[in-house]
Amino acid sequence: MTDTSTAPGQGFLSIRGLTKRYAGFTAVDNLDLEVPKGELVAFLGPSGCGKTTSLRMIAGLVPATSGRIVVGGQDLTEVATHRRDMGLVFQSYALFPHMSVAKNVAFGLEMRKVPKDEIAKRVKEAIALVHLTGKEEHRPAQLSGGQQQRVALARALVIRPSILLFDEPLSNLDAKLRDEMRNEIRDIQRRLGITAIFVTHDQSEALTMCDKVVVMNQGRLEQLGTPVDLYERPKTAFVASFVGRTNRLKAVATDGFADFGGQRFAAPGDLSGPVEVMVRPHRIALAPTGGEGVAGTIMRATFAGDILQYDIDVAGQTVSVELATRGGETVLAPGTTVALSWRPQDVFVYGAAA
Amino acid sequence: MDERPVSPALKLLAFLMFAFLLAPLIVVVPISFSGDSYMMFPPSSWSVKWYPAIFLDGKMTAAFWTSLLLACAVTVLCLVIALPAAFALVRLRPRGAEALSSLFTAPLLLPTIVLGLAILIVFARYGLLATFPGLVAAHLVVTLPYALRVLATALSTLPIAVEEAASTLGASPFTVFRRITLPMMKSGLIGTTALCFLVSFDEVVLSLFMTGPRIQTLPVAMYHHVEQQADPLVAALSVLLVVLTLLVVLVVDRTSGLAKTFVK
Ligand SMILES: Nc1ncnc2c1ncn2[C@@H]1O[C@H](COP(=O)(O)OP(=O)(O)OP(=O)(O)O)[C@@H](O)[C@H]1O
Ligand SMILES: [Mg+2]
Repeated sequence: MTDTSTAPGQGFLSIRGLTKRYAGFTAVDNLDLEVPKGELVAFLGPSGCGKTTSLRMIAGLVPATSGRIVVGGQDLTEVATHRRDMGLVFQSYALFPHMSVAKNVAFGLEMRKVPKDEIAKRVKEAIALVHLTGKEEHRPAQLSGGQQQRVALARALVIRPSILLFDEPLSNLDAKLRDEMRNEIRDIQRRLGITAIFVTHDQSEALTMCDKVVVMNQGRLEQLGTPVDLYERPKTAFVASFVGRTNRLKAVATDGFADFGGQRFAAPGDLSGPVEVMVRPHRIALAPTGGEGVAGTIMRATFAGDILQYDIDVAGQTVSVELATRGGETVLAPGTTVALSWRPQDVFVYGAAA
Repeated sequence: MDERPVSPALKLLAFLMFAFLLAPLIVVVPISFSGDSYMMFPPSSWSVKWYPAIFLDGKMTAAFWTSLLLACAVTVLCLVIALPAAFALVRLRPRGAEALSSLFTAPLLLPTIVLGLAILIVFARYGLLATFPGLVAAHLVVTLPYALRVLATALSTLPIAVEEAASTLGASPFTVFRRITLPMMKSGLIGTTALCFLVSFDEVVLSLFMTGPRIQTLPVAMYHHVEQQADPLVAALSVLLVVLTLLVVLVVDRTSGLAKTFVK
């Protein structure tokens, strides 16, 4: 599972060079992406990085400045939204306030001129699928946020769209409901084999739900990969720090090696000059001084139940270390000197941002 | 609207304003039940004869039907013109949309008498004076700005995502407008209808310029009636008109909530 890139044309949904420019500002910059049939792909990135804009271009709600959107071999770039056969679940739900739950769900089927008795059957199924049986005649305003969200989901699912697009659909829910809905969405998507894109700025949502993750930053695709790829082999400093937590340490590279606290790390390519060294807090081992590794002094110790967290001063920089507790360990007092060590594959070195 | 505690001072202010608004009724209602043959307050005797007298007065009934027909025609035309105009201004946002909507609402700033004079001069040339189409056109000049304002506000406060959701579900732009946009604008549409109807039905100044012996609206007929004879018939008619207005307002309130329609 190392090579996750797909050649152009191999995906069911194929996005090529998709770009959106507003006056003097590029919201989405040359996005290339292939999504195989039945996969759930996350768009992950900080606020304003262009996730919603990308999704809206795919749905046809915003015209692309350039680039192509192809679904199942058919170029949809110039096709109007209502002919694209895509389901979109809005962050704001966007339910029809003047229609009942059942009418909301039936709307897409009516537009497709599905016979009446079949509409009734499919609406019933869809409402059952999202556990809203009994609420058919309620108006959206009479439902809780989570229930409205599920109506939005049922409304998009019932038309069996070729592609399902989600724009941060869970961000308005409380943590418990969010977990439930995550599992439900994932189940339904797998069971029906729907190709889907899921926009989120919550990295744990992206990692836990999706087959692949697209990390976006400032309109550009930073990395596309499986959750494991992104976490274990982040290609850029941005990905390393955005996906999971990490220590960002300053170091200087010479002759392809970075020097940090007296240890040398292979720097990729022939980086030289200032670099950033990244190690995840829980991938660092501590040993009493004298052992192998980088020497440091404990500044602060925090016991948080599951983990024991240390802030350690290493040559003037603070390194955060997390140890899983097993019971019986002694909490090292501030001032204690220790040796820090890590496996070579847990260290990433990137050129420092200018 | 949410319930908020109201201070006594605010209650007093509201009471005074209502008293001010309703003061004319305190005079008009008793006079309408007067037994005298001329307007006097307080009346020296009582009767209900002026109410049936309205319906026996041919001029008044003819003017009433003219005004009713006129208000209906103006209202329908107003909606037919203002709805697409508001949609174009708010949704298609052509170059200079701001300037255009200021221009369209400008007639509200002019004194009606100035408008009336201008319309008189122009319409006289085309033989539109004292004709039904002429009256419709003149009333549209004052009702259209209101209609455009209310409908544009109603449109611009709609969440656009709801319409987008409909289009992703396969609805063509026209279907989106018919099945989603229009129903969501319901209160704005009812408000516009009521407003246009009442403004046209009540209009005096423009109508004075535009009417003649051939055609008369109810307010103008009442005006002339008072000029000629000061009997309490007009007071009785006024009471009926107040009741009619209240009915319209009540219908609006029941169907969409008055506050929701006019207070955004
Ligand atoms: N109509 C527009 N005109 C100009 N700039 C726009 C327009 N729409 C979006 N942008 C800009 O494009 C960028 C990307 O916006 P977008 O909504 O796609 O971000 P996002 O990744 O979805 O962010 P969030 O997580 O906050 O929803 C933003 O910087 C935004 O200001
Ligand atoms: Mg967004």
